Amino acid sequence: MENSVLTAFLIFLVCCLPSLCTFIGIDNVGRPIVSGALVGLILGDLETGIICGANIELIWLGVFAIGASNPPDMTAGTVLGTAYVILTSATVESAVLLAVPVATAGKLIGELRWTVIDVALGHKADSYALEGNTRGVQVMHWAATAINILFKPIVIALAFYFGIDLIEGIVAAIPTWLTDGMMYATGIIPAIGFALIARMIMSKETVLFLILGFALASFFNLSTIAIAVLACIIVAYQIFNNKRTGREVVADDNEF
Amino acid sequence: MTTNSKLTKKDLAKIYWRSCQLDMSWDYERQQHIAYSYGISSAIDKIYKNDPEKKKRALQRGLDFMACTPQIVPFIMGIDVALNEENVNTDTFDESIITSIKTSLMGPMAGIGDSLIPATLRIIATGIGISFSMAGNPLGPILFLLTFNIPCYFIRYYSLKFGYKFGTKLITSMANTNIMDTVSYSAAIVGLMVVGGMIYSQIWLDLPIMVGSGDFAQPLVTYLDQIMPGLIQLGLFGLMYYLLGKKVKTTTILWAVLGICIGLTFIGSLF
Repeated sequence: MENSVLTAFLIFLVCCLPSLCTFIGIDNVGRPIVSGALVGLILGDLETGIICGANIELIWLGVFAIGASNPPDMTAGTVLGTAYVILTSATVESAVLLAVPVATAGKLIGELRWTVIDVALGHKADSYALEGNTRGVQVMHWAATAINILFKPIVIALAFYFGIDLIEGIVAAIPTWLTDGMMYATGIIPAIGFALIARMIMSKETVLFLILGFALASFFNLSTIAIAVLACIIVAYQIFNNKRTGREVVADDNEF
Repeated sequence: MTTNSKLTKKDLAKIYWRSCQLDMSWDYERQQHIAYSYGISSAIDKIYKNDPEKKKRALQRGLDFMACTPQIVPFIMGIDVALNEENVNTDTFDESIITSIKTSLMGPMAGIGDSLIPATLRIIATGIGISFSMAGNPLGPILFLLTFNIPCYFIRYYSLKFGYKFGTKLITSMANTNIMDTVSYSAAIVGLMVVGGMIYSQIWLDLPIMVGSGDFAQPLVTYLDQIMPGLIQLGLFGLMYYLLGKKVKTTTILWAVLGICIGLTFIGSLF
């Protein structure tokens, strides 16, 4: 089978499916175990697709998005890796070998959305919220969602159509200072989000608790749950203590 | 007390289905904030239809930082809309309590949720599916999806139901304003401690600066870590906090961060 326009279009649909399925509450369609099978289905070799998907799934078994750390783009890697194996009758192992670098490259597409496009839409949503324009906020979500659904699948379908060599060449041509610079920025940008929250709920009186939470994490490597448990104990202690002594806890106003 | 803003089952169903899209408009700055505000936006519209000023503030609150396991965010959304319902009927309601409660809930709930859902439940589902898949059997992917997603439907449903109920109860027990202050102060403490922890775990910057010369050269980070691990993260947070206090726009900060990072890496790459 050739890399015809029709097949590229079907590849595009397979890549859109994970996002579309979340609309009806079905998650994880983008995992290798599912998307490998879907690629097998459209390329006419379901069995190989399923086996490739399962093998790729195994290397990323413990990998999932948690907090602000995003995993490599498993869907991109699986789709192109599996398609390559089915179309060239290569071994299943070569699907895994190809999936890893493609997934790493595919993540760069996501980075562009997460650091620039969606952040810009978020700021636009802020200004709509300021005007009390609910529809505006909703449109920003739809815009981000539409980009999410379409952007990556288009790139993957193009990569499929023009060949995997070309994509590798393009990725290699991106200067490392650009990707490294972006990488440093992704580590710093969450600080803005935390500062925004702190500006809202922190007062002179409570700044100590922020530092306490930080110290518990940095000196003792405590997890967020552990810190939350300790925080609840502190709160409970204060409430019981105040009940006994009859003092009132009065919240400061939020100026700091 | 007026009853015209009472949310119906239909409104909650809307929140339920929209909550499924939580990771669709994700970004690094405030993560799920756009999708979160989208999820509750219609409810906010209904609740505040006679109070545009409070609605503006409610919409802005919806866009606060939100990072939690998507399947249990409906719990937070439920509490959020219940508190907003109370807010529209009470003049003395302290609105900062909504932000505090959201902030203090999302960290610990994400901790529990992430270890239960994308870790444990998904591994179980993969375990069931993969033995079929390895043999090329189409039952593999199908069983994987069913085992993961059916429990998630129930988790989302009950999260929202309990969240809304819990939020409503929270209000009746808070009729006394002193209790309101205590709750808001307590929620702020838990929220800030969690934020403090996340400053350490979620912000990172590997400074490639070396101190000393020759074989004795050590990364600057090593020295800073001896004083206190994560001093850089705390410094970055402090800087952002300071800049926001100076009324610098978040967009400006964001572009500056991107520009400085790419610029410095470019200069660094020349040597």
